[in-house]
Amino acid sequence: MMNCLEFRRRVGAEPAISGDEIDAHRGDCPACARHQDELRAMDAMIGRAFVVDTTRIRKPRAVVAPATGRRWLAMAASIVIGVSVGIALWVSSPRASLAREVIGHVASETHAMISTTPIAPEELAGVLDPEGTKLRPGIGDVSFAARCVFAGNVVPHLVVRMPRGPVTVLLLRHRNVDGPVRLEEQGYVGVVLPAPRGSIAIVGRDQKDLDGIAQQVFEAVDWGG
Amino acid sequence: MNRDDRGTERRRRFTAVCEALHPDLLRFAFWLGRDRQLAEDVVQEALLRAWKSFDALAEEGKVKSWLLTIVRREFARSFERKRLEVADLDVLVAAEADVLAADDDAALAEMREALFRLDDDYREPLVLQVMMGYSTKEIAEHMGLQQGAVLTRLFRARARLRQELGIAVEASP
Repeated sequence: MMNCLEFRRRVGAEPAISGDEIDAHRGDCPACARHQDELRAMDAMIGRAFVVDTTRIRKPRAVVAPATGRRWLAMAASIVIGVSVGIALWVSSPRASLAREVIGHVASETHAMISTTPIAPEELAGVLDPEGTKLRPGIGDVSFAARCVFAGNVVPHLVVRMPRGPVTVLLLRHRNVDGPVRLEEQGYVGVVLPAPRGSIAIVGRDQKDLDGIAQQVFEAVDWGG
Repeated sequence: MNRDDRGTERRRRFTAVCEALHPDLLRFAFWLGRDRQLAEDVVQEALLRAWKSFDALAEEGKVKSWLLTIVRREFARSFERKRLEVADLDVLVAAEADVLAADDDAALAEMREALFRLDDDYREPLVLQVMMGYSTKEIAEHMGLQQGAVLTRLFRARARLRQELGIAVEASP
């Protein structure tokens, strides 16, 4: 027969535990039953507490976090490789180069697509304000916003939840294009459009009505004065 | 299936796994190290290692525990490499305040801070049990401990939390 000490030792390590002995003791000892219920309630709270918002864990790389030695080496190496590869591709085909860079960035940041929780307006403002831009309401919830390194520049990277699915938006202030550049690689489709400042890349998974979606996103961006 | 197709299929499977598990891996690393930058670095390195040895994964049903093990090892490597010192807990809490914040839920924020202040030895088994749904046997295997030691740590973890939160505490086993 299990006594109170043994019961509390067991449920203190595993509040969810059940079984004949546990249930029998619960029936005999209301205080121990109440104790286990309290521990179960605390576990529910612990479970909620552990589920922190991962978009808050992930800080924008280039702006917030100081690079450690190893990180700096990796960053330097990626920039060198990126620049070398970028120059080669740019010379051969500027449009193909831009398409690969945009898709490459989106594909390397797939975690950005996971969260469906809208971010706080001030978090979005923190990403867009340095560009002097804003996103007009009504386009859809923004579930991710960060300032990312793209082709050696820091650019806003947003994920907007639209009716047809999440759409990635990159504001490429440093990159001009003459006209729309179509992107289609690795299962992604998108377009880079000329913008009042540089260009804007809009990438999704669904190619239906891409132009319509791109137009909506483009019009939702307030480019400032 | 030719070599290119196999490569594409491998990449597709790996991406699907990463997309699904990335948030949990990031949270696990965050609660291990209590440092968001470290968590991001550790998960990134762990996924690189996982990609290299993805073919060695025999059962896809065990992919989560396989990745958590890789994250844990990578965390140990990073910890050793960076020779992190035990920082003042108040400084740690302040540095990660926005991650620990819970909008309009003071009790939740208080619990997060209490978990943050828990010793590493107690926090990790609690994460594995409550967040990852591991049994005490699985935690013992994951951490290389006897099951009895895991039970003791879990008991003490909850006792410490109750103490921290001002709830009456049970005697230690």
